[in-house]
Amino acid sequence: MVVPPSGERVATALGVYESEGDRLSLMLVVVGPRTRELALLQAGAGLTLLGPLGNGFDLTALGDDVALVAGGVGVAPMLLPARDLRARGARVKLYYGARNAAALVDVDLFAALGVELALATDDGSRGHHGYVTDLLERNGRGHDAIAACGPSPMLRTVGNVARSLGVRAQLSLEETFACGVGACWGCVVPLDRASTQAPAFPAAADGEVRAYVHARICKEGPVFWAHELRW
Amino acid sequence: MVTAGSQPDISTSLGALRLDAPTLMASGCYGSGEEYAPFVDLARIGGVVLKSVTRLPRLGNDAPRLVPVASGLLNAIGLQNPGIDAYLAHDVAKFADRPCAVVGSVAGFSVDDFAYVTERLAARDEIDAIELNISCPNVAHEGETFACDPTLAGAATRAARAVTRKPLIVKLSPNVTDIADIARVVEAAGADALAVVNTVRGMSIDIERAAPRLGNVTGGLSGAAIRPIAVLAVWEVARAVRIPILGQGGIETARDALEFILAGASAVSIGTGNFTDPRAPIAVADGIRAYLAARKLSSLAQIVGTANPGFVRGR
Repeated sequence: MVVPPSGERVATALGVYESEGDRLSLMLVVVGPRTRELALLQAGAGLTLLGPLGNGFDLTALGDDVALVAGGVGVAPMLLPARDLRARGARVKLYYGARNAAALVDVDLFAALGVELALATDDGSRGHHGYVTDLLERNGRGHDAIAACGPSPMLRTVGNVARSLGVRAQLSLEETFACGVGACWGCVVPLDRASTQAPAFPAAADGEVRAYVHARICKEGPVFWAHELRW
Repeated sequence: MVTAGSQPDISTSLGALRLDAPTLMASGCYGSGEEYAPFVDLARIGGVVLKSVTRLPRLGNDAPRLVPVASGLLNAIGLQNPGIDAYLAHDVAKFADRPCAVVGSVAGFSVDDFAYVTERLAARDEIDAIELNISCPNVAHEGETFACDPTLAGAATRAARAVTRKPLIVKLSPNVTDIADIARVVEAAGADALAVVNTVRGMSIDIERAAPRLGNVTGGLSGAAIRPIAVLAVWEVARAVRIPILGQGGIETARDALEFILAGASAVSIGTGNFTDPRAPIAVADGIRAYLAARKLSSLAQIVGTANPGFVRGR
């Protein structure tokens, strides 16, 4: 959670892009006044940062042939996992989609790690003209697992494609956050009651027994197994 | 007068509930008590008001539950909680070593609910006081009705009063025609203090989808946007009752808190302000102490209600 110097009273949740020694990089896309203020910060400006919060991709559960699927700024949490997966010798393919060629950032960094690339743009200015999930659907068979981050509609599609391919997928979800630490229960997603990530909750709710519980994206997540989500 | 080197006394009380500092963490913004513990020295705040608990478990409302709006936040959580049985079995024991006051919050859908949950929660040693949440705007059937109907507000308060001698704080809704009227009834029904106010009803519509943004359609507005509404509510309630007031609604700084105190609040709660600065309740307490020191005043009690000519002394 990042609070810009103006003290705008709702924090912005950002993913860590790179981390080396005492240096931390955050990636953001300017969508409104808060992200604009962050983007315009000068060197030496101060920020309030609360974190790191929540979980991350479970790299040990992804196997030796991994599909990373990123939509837009959803590429932010992919670089560190790509580096770690490559370091242990895994085959990694990045399926990366964005609005246009200019919005596909740092593709070279991934290529330099030996990551195979499958690119898509909405306007066809680079790679496949269409959704990145089209590429996953077409070529995704054979991966041990998928790790995806991007807009919710894309993640739902990744979950569906993963099921049809018979491949397990970890999805890093996005929501509006208020506290970021699990206190306010504002950022929830329905999760299978049997999931190891499901918060402890009695079986009878409002007099009914439901197969799901509401898990906090900021606390139990943001990464969940696609086949355990009931959204 | 303050002698050199001594600090003004910012301790206060809500009925028999003694607070070392006049700032509390508001209900729903502090979870079950443990989430903020790594970030905040609880010994430096007055207390925490826990998330409301109901008789039965509640899954809460469908997402989205939050919409940031200009100078505030719309929420519709829907009282998600594990129910009183699981709450007593798993959560309450964690509050035993809190270095500040712990206020349990009770919500319900009938007078009997309020009595039942209050009795069970108040029986625990870890709970210092009870807040009766009769004003949640985000649950279907009768959530807020209790705070909007004098007869029901009085009945819920009497029912809770009958089952505990611990301090009883009743949380009022701003979504009423005359909050002073409700306050008088709740005071007469045996409340020890009043929390003023809960969120203001509101909504936001996504014009691209032509649909409400919140899963629950309507929600409660909090944050700076509602502060003037809340200050006025405290002002009006302070003229109507003699029991102490816990002021809340968009407080982020000591200056904000002082408006509530000068209107007649003996203590304040910080809710949405925690989300960008979990240490806000500490900074607010420090700022209140500095305000008193700058005016060479020795205690908080000397300024409660001083901007409000109709404030009734002697509480």
